[in-house]
Amino acid sequence: MTNANLGASASGLRSESNAWKLTVEDGIGILTMDHPDSEVNVLTSVHLEQLDKQLDALKTRTDLRALLFASAKKKIFIAGADINEIEKISTPDDAFQAAERGKVVFQKIEDLPYATICVINGACLGGGFELALSCWYRVASFSDSVKIGLPEVNLGILPGFGGSIRLPKLIGLLKSLPLILGGSIVGAQDAFKKGLVDKLFYEQTLLQDAIQYAKVLGGIHHPERKQSLQDKLLEGTSFGRDFVFSQARKDVLKKTKGFYPAPFEIIKLIQSTYGKTGAQVYKEESHAFSKLGATAVSKACIRVFFLSERYKKKGWSSVKNASAPKAQPAGSFQVNKVGVIGAGVMGGGIAHLVSSKNIPVRVKDIDTKALGGALKEAYGLFKASLKRRKLKPHDMTRQMNLISTGLTYDGIKSADVVIEAVVENLDIKKKVFKELASVVGKNTILASNTSSLPVTQMAAGCENPSRVVGLHFFNPVNRMPLVEVIRAEQTSDETLDKTIAFSRKLGKTVIVTEDKPGFLVNRLLLPYLNEAALLMEEGLDPEAIDRIATQFGMPMGPVELVDQVGIDVGYKVAHILQDAFGERMKVASILESAYQKKLLGKKGGKGFYLYDKDKKYRNPEIPFTAKSGISDETALKRMMYIMVNEAARCLEEKVIDSAETVDVGMIFGTGFPPFRGGLMDYADTVGLASIVEDLQAFEKQYGSRFAPCKLLVELAGQNKKFRS
Amino acid sequence: MTQNIVIAGGLRTPFIKAWSLFDSVGAEQLGAWCLRELVERTGLNPAVVDEVIVGCVGQPANAANVARVIALLGGIPKDKKAYTVHRNCASGFEAVTSAYEKIIAGQDEVVIAGGAESMSNVPLFFSKEAQAIFMKLGRAKTLVQKLQVIAEFRPKHFSPVAGLMLGLSDPVCGLNMGQTAEVLAKKFAISRKAQDDFALASNNKTIAARERLREEIMPILLPPKFTDAVQDDNGARENQTIDQLAKLKPAFERNTGSVTAGNSSQITDGACMLIVTTEEKAKALGLEIMGRIVGYDYAGCEPAEMGMGPVFAIDRLMKRTGVDLKSVDLFEINEAFSAQVLACLEAVKSKSFAQQFLGRTEALGEIPLEKLNVNGGGIALGHPVGVSGARLILTALKELKRRNAKRAIVSLCIGGGQGGAVLLERCGV
Repeated sequence: MTNANLGASASGLRSESNAWKLTVEDGIGILTMDHPDSEVNVLTSVHLEQLDKQLDALKTRTDLRALLFASAKKKIFIAGADINEIEKISTPDDAFQAAERGKVVFQKIEDLPYATICVINGACLGGGFELALSCWYRVASFSDSVKIGLPEVNLGILPGFGGSIRLPKLIGLLKSLPLILGGSIVGAQDAFKKGLVDKLFYEQTLLQDAIQYAKVLGGIHHPERKQSLQDKLLEGTSFGRDFVFSQARKDVLKKTKGFYPAPFEIIKLIQSTYGKTGAQVYKEESHAFSKLGATAVSKACIRVFFLSERYKKKGWSSVKNASAPKAQPAGSFQVNKVGVIGAGVMGGGIAHLVSSKNIPVRVKDIDTKALGGALKEAYGLFKASLKRRKLKPHDMTRQMNLISTGLTYDGIKSADVVIEAVVENLDIKKKVFKELASVVGKNTILASNTSSLPVTQMAAGCENPSRVVGLHFFNPVNRMPLVEVIRAEQTSDETLDKTIAFSRKLGKTVIVTEDKPGFLVNRLLLPYLNEAALLMEEGLDPEAIDRIATQFGMPMGPVELVDQVGIDVGYKVAHILQDAFGERMKVASILESAYQKKLLGKKGGKGFYLYDKDKKYRNPEIPFTAKSGISDETALKRMMYIMVNEAARCLEEKVIDSAETVDVGMIFGTGFPPFRGGLMDYADTVGLASIVEDLQAFEKQYGSRFAPCKLLVELAGQNKKFRS
Repeated sequence: MTQNIVIAGGLRTPFIKAWSLFDSVGAEQLGAWCLRELVERTGLNPAVVDEVIVGCVGQPANAANVARVIALLGGIPKDKKAYTVHRNCASGFEAVTSAYEKIIAGQDEVVIAGGAESMSNVPLFFSKEAQAIFMKLGRAKTLVQKLQVIAEFRPKHFSPVAGLMLGLSDPVCGLNMGQTAEVLAKKFAISRKAQDDFALASNNKTIAARERLREEIMPILLPPKFTDAVQDDNGARENQTIDQLAKLKPAFERNTGSVTAGNSSQITDGACMLIVTTEEKAKALGLEIMGRIVGYDYAGCEPAEMGMGPVFAIDRLMKRTGVDLKSVDLFEINEAFSAQVLACLEAVKSKSFAQQFLGRTEALGEIPLEKLNVNGGGIALGHPVGVSGARLILTALKELKRRNAKRAIVSLCIGGGQGGAVLLERCGV
């Protein structure tokens, strides 16, 4: 029931004027939806009521041979149900009623006494596609704007207007389960291959062709699906079906670690309804929906969805001057070439990302071996996409050819954006920027992929420093959706705008931070990792720490994360923060000693754990003391609250503009569990007063690093939340 | 002729013995790497390139009009033009001279011209008979029909013909290239020893030139591992001796011949790209002008004596440009075979040859050995057939600069009985 463009459908804008217009020509009716107050067609409850009345009138029309459902919007059929309404569902009974209201209407479509054809000209998602599924036939245009799917699961719910029943019936279990469970959205050609649509027509003549199609069809019902031998074995036998469902459960558990109830509800529902007909199965769907619609998980998912949509377009000016946001001229900044300085893992990852967006990229390093490493990194990532069939071989060849390498600034000179990704050493970075500024064009954006060093200082002493900016990617670059754009003191508005536009062109979600050590994400993450290290020092085993964090929903435990990032890298960043913030961020001695022992982490096979192929063991070189008496609850609170406290400080110091930016940063930059709505949302849910109380107790017991900051104490005292 | 046509940048890949390091890399990829790197190094804006012209003899079956594939993979915008040329061993020349003609004619202003060849990847061909059975198999519907067709196959159907061998044979005179060299050896009485001495000298010159040649070579990091960059040609042999060469069996006439694998050019993979434009445009674009093309010509000759091609071409070049061989600082005659180059040297200085075949009263002149192929040639460097022409121009221009010399003639013999020659001149010397 969702779509990306839903931001436009803010509540309160609704009018009572009818969104549905019926025209009849030559015995063919066309019911066209045109949301009167929005550029997007969204199914609100009002629209459903209006449709309901239309259908009651249409039912008795004997002059019609067929009825077509169409849209008056360009590139959009129906983008889904109104997510604002879903968000307001507060009880299971509300949820049940909401699902029932929709499906009663769609049942009327299915019951019409003549052929019904859905004419899909663009986005046809969630409730929109459920409407389409209740028609006899579906046709679509070849256009790239055709996007079809049931993405409800991403909002923590399931298709509740009959889609969970009708899609498996239409295309079978094997094809429908991944679509519903993955919430995946497919294009026209794919939709045709999967049987979601019956015909594809040219975009320009879609409606005429659909009318012609209706005439040719006459009153013939949609034919039953042809089953392949595989279908017959897996779907036609109870043994086969059980296998399919148990496999689906396994996959879902692996992917969601059990934190999201929706996919399990979906499997349960389809298992009990597949192959059955009658009103009862649709009731079952509403019941299943009612178990999800009012849950905190669903609310958090919806919040994160809205956040991510908003941050795709959010205007940023100076964070300090957040009251004057400015719209980004998205995509107006033409980047014909990108330079990357430093061919490490990040350099290679960035080169891959840029070339995967069809932009040529030149990588420079002082070492040929490093250049080879960057190419290998990119090549491996392309190969992996090839394997997952996300990429065709010729695209890989073409995109791989966009990456070239060299030891000199040749080829960097003509870049529109140069990203510096050399070793985290301020002096070296300063030198690089000085060199760069003297070889590239005057307006070339010079961005540093530093994770925590001061960008303002890097820019000092180079020509035209207003085009220097921070652009912090997260590892692995292709998978982490976030970039931090760091506005250094001298960064110009133009530079900031261009960098944001460029980042979005790369498909990244942007947050803008001020140039303070660690920016946002590392400034929060490092205290968390350090706290995990301190817990280890106090005798909590690393396995226990990692378990506590993953049970909370973190994608990986902190100890494993340190190993993954690299102890050398983590150590460096930790020290930068210790230098900046003193005692509060004093590096744990266990991390010091691991670094002194030259343990590198996973890349070297040895860190806090030892790595042997896919397995990991505790590393005996690390002096683990006897078991501590620290409870899981205390350990979790220590790791989480230290981040909450630091985030409050970032707000206090105006490093970022809002609590929402913290949530976006943590979810898309560190994988903080979306079902908790983000770090600040989690803190609000726990209650700031209780967090302050715990922090004060920790302060007494473990030291001043836990002392709650002023803003946090203030908010707690006023019984306020981070989210205003 | 009002404008000077110049070479304003050039680069090549290492020349790599076929079926070795570049075995799994197609000509289109070699060309694309070379083209992109040339553009990157010279800072040329790819949008000013009007045309890409590439010589390629064994055109890859998977990349028809390989020039277009190279242009697109190499980063030249889609709205630009590209075509492939084939004048056998002079295809790399032909690309450059075509560019010259296009620019003179006002069709193009900036052209990237060169060659790309993967002799490792020239396909094998099935006999017509075997092809017919494969086609029948494709049409067979039932399993029984298929089995019936399969039963028609005989062992001989599975011994394909190497396309490379076909390509190196002349269907008109019925000789392969090595055999044409034997014809010249006999005609000009070029001894086995003289051929081997020439081959050894070529080898040694190439080894001595390794550092110098790096100036024209781009290092290549090879997928999938991308470790150690390939940055040198690998055809020349360290510590080669005359005895080793003398031990080799004749390759084309087993019992009576003198042409061996050791005194013939090598089968090689590689690519070379040059920027061809007008002097004025090169200056406007801030490109370094390596030299200008003063003139060039091609000439036909007896197919069975195709190795004499350079003599006929140089003769025409001299008539066309009025150049005197004495005023030429460097010569490149592509080393298809020792015997063939030595025969050319004999013919050039022969009065009777000049009278009999060139309609001259005096000999063409003399090509002194110390000015010839000073960094070695195809025998040691290898001869990727579609590329060599462009490589000769690049190598000669780089060497002229190193010597601060002015003039070079580069020439090639061409399978099928032709020769090509280009007169190059450094500006402002």
